[in-house]
Amino acid sequence: MTPIVTIRDLTKVYERGGVTVAALDHVSLDIEHGEFLALMGPSGSGKSTLLHVIAGIDRPDSGVCNVGGVPVPELSESELADWRNQNVGFVFQSFNLIPVLSAFENVELPLLLMNLNKAKRKQLVDTALELVGLADRAHHLPKQMSGGQDQRVAIARAIVTDPKLIVADEPTGNLDSHSADEVLQILATLSSKPIGKTVIMVTHDPRAAGFGTRTLYLEKGRLKE
Amino acid sequence: MSIGGFIIKNALRNKRRLLLSVLSAAASLFLLVTLMVVLRELTKPPSDGDSSLRVCVRNKVSLASTLPQRQRSEIEKVPGVVVCSPFVWFGGKFKEDEQLIFGTIACDPEKLPTLLQEMKIDPAEYEAFVKDRTACIVGIDALQSDKFKELGLNVGSRFTVMSGIYPCSLELKIVGTYKGTIDDRNIFFHHKYLDEAMGDWGLTGMWWIRIDSAASMGPVNTTIEAAFANSAHEVRAESERAFQMSFVSMWGGIKYLIGGISGAVLFTLVLVTASTMSMAIRERFRELGILKAIGYQRRELFAFILAESFGLSLLGAMLGAGGAWLLYTFADMKKATSGFFVSFEVTTQMLGIAALIACLLGVIASLAPAIAVSRMSVVKALKTLD
Repeated sequence: MTPIVTIRDLTKVYERGGVTVAALDHVSLDIEHGEFLALMGPSGSGKSTLLHVIAGIDRPDSGVCNVGGVPVPELSESELADWRNQNVGFVFQSFNLIPVLSAFENVELPLLLMNLNKAKRKQLVDTALELVGLADRAHHLPKQMSGGQDQRVAIARAIVTDPKLIVADEPTGNLDSHSADEVLQILATLSSKPIGKTVIMVTHDPRAAGFGTRTLYLEKGRLKE
Repeated sequence: MSIGGFIIKNALRNKRRLLLSVLSAAASLFLLVTLMVVLRELTKPPSDGDSSLRVCVRNKVSLASTLPQRQRSEIEKVPGVVVCSPFVWFGGKFKEDEQLIFGTIACDPEKLPTLLQEMKIDPAEYEAFVKDRTACIVGIDALQSDKFKELGLNVGSRFTVMSGIYPCSLELKIVGTYKGTIDDRNIFFHHKYLDEAMGDWGLTGMWWIRIDSAASMGPVNTTIEAAFANSAHEVRAESERAFQMSFVSMWGGIKYLIGGISGAVLFTLVLVTASTMSMAIRERFRELGILKAIGYQRRELFAFILAESFGLSLLGAMLGAGGAWLLYTFADMKKATSGFFVSFEVTTQMLGIAALIACLLGVIASLAPAIAVSRMSVVKALKTLD
């Protein structure tokens, strides 16, 4: 089966205070459909940069990055925005929910860009919130929920458009261990059958990485299996 | 939730700042509309339909120079002239005052109803006015003014008025009131009485004429000017409106001053609104970065910011310009300004200008933050957050 993500010879260089740093140094890898990949490595190793390139929010200096057969770095800004909306779900360390919107409205946000009527949007949001176990908190504001619940709302927002790929950057970094386990369990469920989404997670925590089906290590922009 | 609902929720997230920003926009636009009204009052004196049928004839040399009364019979012969009355701006003041704030005008009482056809006066009072050389009629607004009340003046009262221009004083008796003219604050008295007081003066300040139709205005003016050309008292004949506008030119400096203040108000308004929008967007930079990550395009983010800025400005305009309209339409501005402004009218053009300014303000204030957001890199935004 063709991998969902194909990366070949990917390079990304940053200038920091006049010093050139290779965030990604000729990285090549394949990620299969339904895989739950954990990316680990020390700070500045390039794991977030790799995640951002795959998710289409950053561009490499050279190399190939195909996601679902689409050469992501070659898309225009406008095409990338549409592609992200339909193909990528984001989960961030600090949840990044809109504080003035309820859980329901936060999850609904990506759907507003699609040509869906109100009833269809409601159905999709209800399903996503049910999947993360928060159907009963739909009308609560982020500040009225715990950190773990906020992160589950963020996961619901990430999956509501039914993307192929979910990228999670330190999703448990701000959570206690119990909440972290809940979030990781949800991500593991999403990647396993019958849902079968591909999840790529950046983490510093080996225990969190243990929920994945494969772990890759990055150091100084290079992959170490 | 709709996109509109999302924008409204965002705008309402800091209610105190929103309220202060809307109020600052409202206050600025209120001030701007007020300045426009003042400027209009100063540059376009109120006129009624009949003002296009009245002609003012004055000495060509200057308004301060007088004209001989013998000109009257010549003027009355000009085709198109219906009536002609002497008109003297007496510049009257009460003994204890520096200046009377009402116009005191010497005229021919018998011609007054024809000259000022919109004037409403009780027939008995008018008859008394015509019969008594020392009589005067007072505009209803003057009679109801604080000054008249303070002096206890009413119909039947006598008072002495001194001229700030001519070397005489007159004792006048109020025999009636009039209303219905564009400015009901004047005091009309007999020109003959002034003539006597000046020792058979034989002069007038101006001629005040009514013509038969607007079409006669040009020919009448030309004929009158020609009639006295090369005489010792050459005249200038012009419509009442043109005569009023000649005073307006004296307000030139005020016009520039008001224009300058309006510009400063606008500039401040732009700064306040732009600052508010910049603060609001800076606080939300991370969220806008997330929106961009989940698929919102530059144009959509730009539209969010523009709509919010637009909404703020338009709300300010509704409160400010709308408030000005309500206040100046329903409050007695003539009384509030002690009769300085007769009609303090907010025109639809002014409201349109205020709305246009609010729209432009919305666009200008949102430009810098909107451009910053549209250029924003999602990665940089995320790095700032995490």
